[in-house]
Amino acid sequence: MTLETAGFWVVAVVLLASSLAVVLTPNLFHAVLYLAAALVATGVVFLLLDSPFLFAVQLLLYAVGVMAIVVFAIMLTERLVGERITQTSRHLVNGGVVAAGVFIGIAGFLIRVPRSLPRAPLVGDATPALGRALVGPFALTLELLGVLLVVALLGALYFARADE
Amino acid sequence: MALPPVAWHALVAFVVLNAVVLLVTYVTLLERKFAARMQSRIGPYYVGRPHGWLQPIADALKLMIKEDIVPAAADRGVYNLAPVVFLVPCMLIFATIPFAPGLGVADLNIGVLFFLAVSSLEIVGLFMGGWGSNNKYALLSAMRAVNQIISYDLPFVFAALVPVLLAGSLQMSAIVDAQQGLAFVFYPVLGQLAFVAYLVATLAAENRVPFDILEAESELVAGFRVEYSGMKFALIQLGEYAHMLGTSFLGALLFLGGWLGPGPAWLGPFWFLGKALLIFLIVTWVRWSFVRIRVDQILAISWKLLLPATLVLLLATGLVVATRGAGGV
Repeated sequence: MTLETAGFWVVAVVLLASSLAVVLTPNLFHAVLYLAAALVATGVVFLLLDSPFLFAVQLLLYAVGVMAIVVFAIMLTERLVGERITQTSRHLVNGGVVAAGVFIGIAGFLIRVPRSLPRAPLVGDATPALGRALVGPFALTLELLGVLLVVALLGALYFARADE
Repeated sequence: MALPPVAWHALVAFVVLNAVVLLVTYVTLLERKFAARMQSRIGPYYVGRPHGWLQPIADALKLMIKEDIVPAAADRGVYNLAPVVFLVPCMLIFATIPFAPGLGVADLNIGVLFFLAVSSLEIVGLFMGGWGSNNKYALLSAMRAVNQIISYDLPFVFAALVPVLLAGSLQMSAIVDAQQGLAFVFYPVLGQLAFVAYLVATLAAENRVPFDILEAESELVAGFRVEYSGMKFALIQLGEYAHMLGTSFLGALLFLGGWLGPGPAWLGPFWFLGKALLIFLIVTWVRWSFVRIRVDQILAISWKLLLPATLVLLLATGLVVATRGAGGV
């Protein structure tokens, strides 16, 4: 077993454990912290797959950006209001069934993929290629996503404005 | 060297880590002396003559042997883990900084992005501390910290991206190489504006005066670390100064040309250190000269001024690069 494979298994265990802890822990704040651990572990998987760019973006957007927003929401709602909100999973069985279904679907897809790759893996630095793809073939998609986010921002402004 | 690569990397990382810890320890002395001079005082003097050069060591020893107090109502696990979670990203950021050509832990091809991503991770440790302490001051401080990080992360990233665009690379060594002719701080208009924006965003990201509402001693006692004592307090303090120093190094690398300077090549790291300390002293100078501003003012500066300004700056840089091509002047 190479060092890289060993690293993957360690990260996989951490990722799985923290993901389970997110849904099973009764404490909302602990759940958020486990979520942070899970997001960072996902980033490390990207790093092990030789994609440092995705690793950095994962940390910047998810581990920091999304986390900050979630924590902000909890802090504004829970302790300042004065009552503790506990999270309990009432639909543990249903959730388990859905999760198992998704897992079987993904596993089935992975098993059916041919062993030999259809395309040779990118050698060297994939970051410039990613950049070119984003402003080349996927430029329209990127712009549409931007418009979508602006619309979301305007909607948030509309709901947040003070009543006149 | 006959060492296997893994052992070699580990050795380099070990040396860099210890050098950083030592440097950070002495940077606290530098700040205290500098602040003292600004206020016509002498500063630390008696521990280790001349000029209290043993003071940082004495402080570190004192903090290590102090009693470790855990508040009875604290969320123990979170409370104990917070200083570590806070410190790790602050130390990790030094992994991508090359101190001279080929002298560093890892010169990643996305170095700057790695730095920005990892350095903002410290916020997780910060709100773990603020929440886990179960103290209203600590909680308020953590809330303000989250507020500030949402507001100032983007201007900070945008300002740092200007030199990246000018150099046409995210790799730290390539950015320095692009400044062979002229450091980016001297790049007409764009360079100076981006440098000023970087300094302001640095102050905010480090939670330094005038943006230190999250530790505001007159209202929040000491903010998120009010319940910490002894070694845990030392770890938080170490992390904070390491982050500060790391950001200074990044600024020196992005805008001041890193290790470039007159003289033989072995002077490079010293040039780099000197430039980083210059940025650190600018930040210190601001800290000891200005007053704290209000929360709403801090948010207004970010969202109404700094964010649009850096965005326009980035667009302008993109235009310049598109018409003139990347690289230095």
